[in-house]
Amino acid sequence: MAPASDADLIPLIRKLESIAQLADAERQAILSLPANIRAVDARQDIVSEKDRPSHCCLVLSGWVCRYKLLDQGKRQILSYHVPGDLPDLQSLHLAVMDHSLATVTASRLAFIPHENMRDAILRFPNLGAALWRDTLIDSAIFREWMTGIGRRSAQARIAHQLCEMYMKLEAVGLAQQHRCELPITQSDIADGLGLTNVHVNRSLKVLRSRGLLTLRGRELVIHDWSGLTQAAEFDPTYLHLEPRAA
Amino acid sequence: MSIQVQPVRVETDSSDEAGELVFADGRLVAVLVQLSDEHEAEAGMWFLEAGFGRLQTPDAPKFADLDEARAWIEQRLAPPS
Repeated sequence: MAPASDADLIPLIRKLESIAQLADAERQAILSLPANIRAVDARQDIVSEKDRPSHCCLVLSGWVCRYKLLDQGKRQILSYHVPGDLPDLQSLHLAVMDHSLATVTASRLAFIPHENMRDAILRFPNLGAALWRDTLIDSAIFREWMTGIGRRSAQARIAHQLCEMYMKLEAVGLAQQHRCELPITQSDIADGLGLTNVHVNRSLKVLRSRGLLTLRGRELVIHDWSGLTQAAEFDPTYLHLEPRAA
Repeated sequence: MSIQVQPVRVETDSSDEAGELVFADGRLVAVLVQLSDEHEAEAGMWFLEAGFGRLQTPDAPKFADLDEARAWIEQRLAPPS
């Protein structure tokens, strides 16, 4: 574990600026937040259900997921998080974790003490508003997942998830030209979308054979963005991204 | 309980099509499909494509062979002790 240096927390600025506008003083306040940096291997719990975290976890590199475990080891993945995300921000106000947070890939994480987060929010109300906006978008994403799990076909669910992850990564500068890293397995996709890995495998094959995408190792290449968004009925409004300067 | 199987071709929008209808005491309780080569390490396994009544589950299991599938089905259909 190491203390953060000035540049370490830049992913948080990049993330918040993809959904809100920040002033110089607010950017500076983020960079000066104290944080401990930890490198965590893939597939490790960061915080577990019933824990009472005293820090907020900021993803600096790698992928992280929220999940719940049911009887007989059945797992529901609730969300994926990429650099710049604060996946347990809610622990600032909700003392007890009602789900777990784990790394998907080897990750670099910053742990920011709650008291310093609270202090920065009090001193910079616009920063507080940006974090609030982030949590509202978080719930918009849950609404979209719920709609998918309840009402979309397996192919549309998968296509939707791939569109969403691409746009999230692109918004923070981690994807371009319809290519991005996709380090999740077919089992992860199944556990997130309420499918079996058999259906995920079949559906990906159909999406590939329609010329919409290729998955090679850990890379996703979207060959036909418009076709994929149509297959998914994907409308990015729910991500509430800031229009980017040209 | 008497379990009977009957071969059937199943439309799965994939190359998995060899299937078995499974009857328990004459009633259709499951459709099993054998996974094709496109499933690589799992090719040859039997997948619960559809389960009815007590065999309905969001986590459809896979079985190494039909005997294993039969054992699972019998156990799920056995009256609670």
